[in-house]
Amino acid sequence: MKRGDIILIGVVIVAALAFMVPKWLFQNSSENLHNGENLVAVITVNGEHYKSVELTDKEQEIKITTADGHYNLLKVHDHGIEMIDADCPDKVCLTFGFVNRNGDTIVCLPHRVLVEIVSPTGEEGDLDAVVG
Amino acid sequence: MPSSDNLTDSSLRLKKTVIIAIFSAVAVVLGIIESFIPLPFAVPGAKLGLANVMVLTCLYFLRGRDAFALIILKTVITSLILGTFSAFLFSFLGAVFSFVVMYGLMKIGRGRISLIGISVVGGVAHNAGQLTAAVMVFKTSKIFYYLPPLMLLGVVTGVFIGIAVKYVVQALSKQSLFEPFVPETY
Repeated sequence: MKRGDIILIGVVIVAALAFMVPKWLFQNSSENLHNGENLVAVITVNGEHYKSVELTDKEQEIKITTADGHYNLLKVHDHGIEMIDADCPDKVCLTFGFVNRNGDTIVCLPHRVLVEIVSPTGEEGDLDAVVG
Repeated sequence: MPSSDNLTDSSLRLKKTVIIAIFSAVAVVLGIIESFIPLPFAVPGAKLGLANVMVLTCLYFLRGRDAFALIILKTVITSLILGTFSAFLFSFLGAVFSFVVMYGLMKIGRGRISLIGISVVGGVAHNAGQLTAAVMVFKTSKIFYYLPPLMLLGVVTGVFIGIAVKYVVQALSKQSLFEPFVPETY
């Protein structure tokens, strides 16, 4: 390891933390905001709107079938949503786990399936300002 | 003598071709092995980046265009074998991002940055490239949420990959096939 390495690694870590820390702070406040109402999961397949589901505490399974016959299985429970099964080759979508916060996403790249959690008032996720 | 110059020239070129072919084959196998290793971290898209060992080793011994040929071969073959051709764009953009950054760092950082630093930045660039492809397809910048945790993880895996490359480079430098390509100083 050289000095340059340490500097490079330091820059990467600082940059990563600079994005992560405000996210943690924001999340707490946005959770309080939406105590009364349920969030909505917007499901998009291949860029087109597929379905919007209200995230209630009632269990509900949603099966998405893509045009070429593949599927993704989503499960709504406890005011959140989770990808529980898919026949995509990499299974990355399953590693997203249970998501329940405004702005959270689940992505299945091979099937081009995108699940975004939004607030029912149409308010955007917290971090959009940082990126765009 | 010009004729013997030609001979060594074409023999060098042949050796280079052989090296690229072997490296591509190893990179593809590493990519497949990697897909069987589950990572215990809940960060979507996290990978060990084992194939990067070969890309970095190739950058060390050969020129940028040779390493570029390697990443093209590696991405196309791995996508075909693993059957995730739909995700080809993602791995391709990741590989190109990573290549450009590592190649640039090798040029400007020679002597100041070791293979470990280059490996770390290459890994992070790979993630950034993949997420950029995802953002292009899904048209939502929210996917960049996953970049910071991937960056932190990329530092950890990048350090290990860099150490691995150091050993690979040391071992290969002793092989006669690689002798003509050992850089004078690094």
